[in-house]
Amino acid sequence: MTENCTPSPPRPSQRSLRRLDWFVFLVADVQTGFGPFIAVYLTTQKWTQVEIGLVMTVAGLVSLAGQMPGGALVDAARSERTVAAVAVSMIALSALVYALFPIFPAVLAAAILHAAASCVLGPSIAAISLGLVGHARIGERFGRNARFAAIGSGLSAAAMGAFGYFFSAQSVFLVTAALLAPTLLVLRGMAADEINPDRAHGNAPNQKSDRSPAALLGLLNNRSLKVFGACILLFHLANAAMLPLMGSVLTMRSSQWATVLIGACIVGPQLVVALFSPWVGRQAEHLGRRPLLIAGFAALPVRGLLFATVTDPYLLVVVQLLDGLTAAVFSVMVPLTVADLTRGTGRFNLVQGTIGTMMGVGASLSPTLAGYLSDTFGSPAAFLGLAATAAVGLVTVWLLMPETRPAKPTGG
Amino acid sequence: MRSRFNIVLFVSALSALAAAAQPGAVQTPSVTVLGAQEVRGILGRDVRSTANENMGRIVDVLVDGAGRVRAAVIDFGGFLGVGSRKIAVDWKALHFVPEAGKQYAVVLELTRDQVKPAPEYKEDKPIVVLGASGNLETLP
Repeated sequence: MTENCTPSPPRPSQRSLRRLDWFVFLVADVQTGFGPFIAVYLTTQKWTQVEIGLVMTVAGLVSLAGQMPGGALVDAARSERTVAAVAVSMIALSALVYALFPIFPAVLAAAILHAAASCVLGPSIAAISLGLVGHARIGERFGRNARFAAIGSGLSAAAMGAFGYFFSAQSVFLVTAALLAPTLLVLRGMAADEINPDRAHGNAPNQKSDRSPAALLGLLNNRSLKVFGACILLFHLANAAMLPLMGSVLTMRSSQWATVLIGACIVGPQLVVALFSPWVGRQAEHLGRRPLLIAGFAALPVRGLLFATVTDPYLLVVVQLLDGLTAAVFSVMVPLTVADLTRGTGRFNLVQGTIGTMMGVGASLSPTLAGYLSDTFGSPAAFLGLAATAAVGLVTVWLLMPETRPAKPTGG
Repeated sequence: MRSRFNIVLFVSALSALAAAAQPGAVQTPSVTVLGAQEVRGILGRDVRSTANENMGRIVDVLVDGAGRVRAAVIDFGGFLGVGSRKIAVDWKALHFVPEAGKQYAVVLELTRDQVKPAPEYKEDKPIVVLGASGNLETLP
C-alpha cells in the first residue's frame, strides 16, 4: 500500500526528471506523423477521398468520446508509467499498421487504436509529472514539459517532412513506429517509486490512498471549471482552423516558397513555445494564472486581425509566431488550471479529459466555421470571424475566470 | 466488404447490359489483354509540371454524363498535409509521358505559378477547371 502520510515535499531524482523531459520529447515526435499527414499518405496509397474522410471522421469521434474515459482510466491506475507504456506501444503499433497494411479495415482499426491511446497518453504525461513533483512545483514542470514537447514536434515536423519528401510517405510511419524503442527505454528509466499515484491523481500528499475520490457531479458543477471549459472551447474554435486556412492562403500567394513557408509556420511557433513556456510556468507561480491566461488569449484575436489584413507571405510567417506565444501559455495553463481546480479530489485526469473534450469540440467545429465563412465571404472575413470568436473568449476569461492559484503555497 | 459490394454491382450491371444488347443469345464477353506497363490506375499518382516541379497528386477524376473524362482533381501544395488544396485541372492539360523501363509519368501543362491562384475544388459547387491555355489572375 502506498501511503504518504508525511507532509514533506516530494524529492524526485534528477534522473527521473531528465527521463520525463525525454519522454515528453519522444511522445511529441511519435504524434507528429498522425494528423493531417495521414490524408496525404493515404492518397499515395490510392485511397479515395470518401474513404479518407470516413477514417478521419471516425478517428475524430473516438478521440472526442474517449477523453473522459481515458482520464478516468489514468485516475484509476496505480502505475501511471505502465499506462503510458501501453498507450505508446498501441500508437507505435497503429503507425506500423499504417505503413504495412494500408487497406481500409486495418487502417480504420489503427486510426481508432491511435485515437483511443492518445486519449490516455495525454493525461498520463501530466499525471506522471504531477506524481513526480507534486502541486507546489507543477507549474514549472508543465512549462518544462511544454518546452520539450515543442522541441519534439518542431524537430520531427522538419525531419518527417524531409523523410516524406526524400523517401516515401510510408517511411514517416516506419520512423514513428521505430521511435517506440527509445520511448519505452526512457520510460523505464523513471523510478517507479518516485511517481506517487495519489499525487498523480490530484490527491493531497498527506491523504491515504484508499480515500475515495470526490463526487464527480459536484466537481463538474464547479463554476470555475465550467467557465474554464467554455473558454477552452472558444479558444480552440477560434484557433484550430487558423493555421490550415493561413496555409491555403499562403499556397495561393507564393508558389516557389509555399511549402517552405508553411513548414516555417509549423516549426516557428514551436521555437517560441520552447523559449517561453518554462518562463510561463515560473511566472504562473509568481504573477498568478489569470494575467498569463489573459495575455495568451489576447494574442489570438490580434493574430486573426493581422491574418485578415497582411498579404505579404513572409510577414504572414512572422504573424504566425504569435501562435507560439498563445501556445506557450495554453500548453502550461490548461493542465495547471486543471491541477489547481482538482486539488485533493483524486480526479485530476478525469477533469483533464473533460477539458480535453471541450478542446476537441472546439477544434472540430473550427474548420467548419472557417470553411463556411471563407467560402461565403472570402478568407479575410473568415479570419475576422475567428478573431471575433477569440475576442468573445478573451472577454469571458477577463470577466468570469477567477484566479486559481492557491492563496498560500503549501509545502506539498 | 465495400469492394465486394462494388464488384457485385459491377457484375450485375454488366449482365444487365449484355442482356439488353443480345436478347436471347448468351455471348462470352470479349477479352483484351493489356501490358502492366501500358495501363495504370491513376489515383494517387504524382503529377509534375513541364518544368519538373512537384504539382501534387491525382486524388479524383471527373467524368461527365457522356462518359468523357473532363478533369483531374489534384491535391496541390502544403507541408505535412497542412495548407494543401484540391484543384481541378483540365484532362487535356495532362500528358502521359512514357519513361524508359518504367510506368509513364503524368505531366501537367501548367506551372505552379499558374495553378496556385485557382479556387479549391468543392463537389457541390460549380467547378473551376484550369486549362492549359490562358492565365488566372491572382486573387486579391
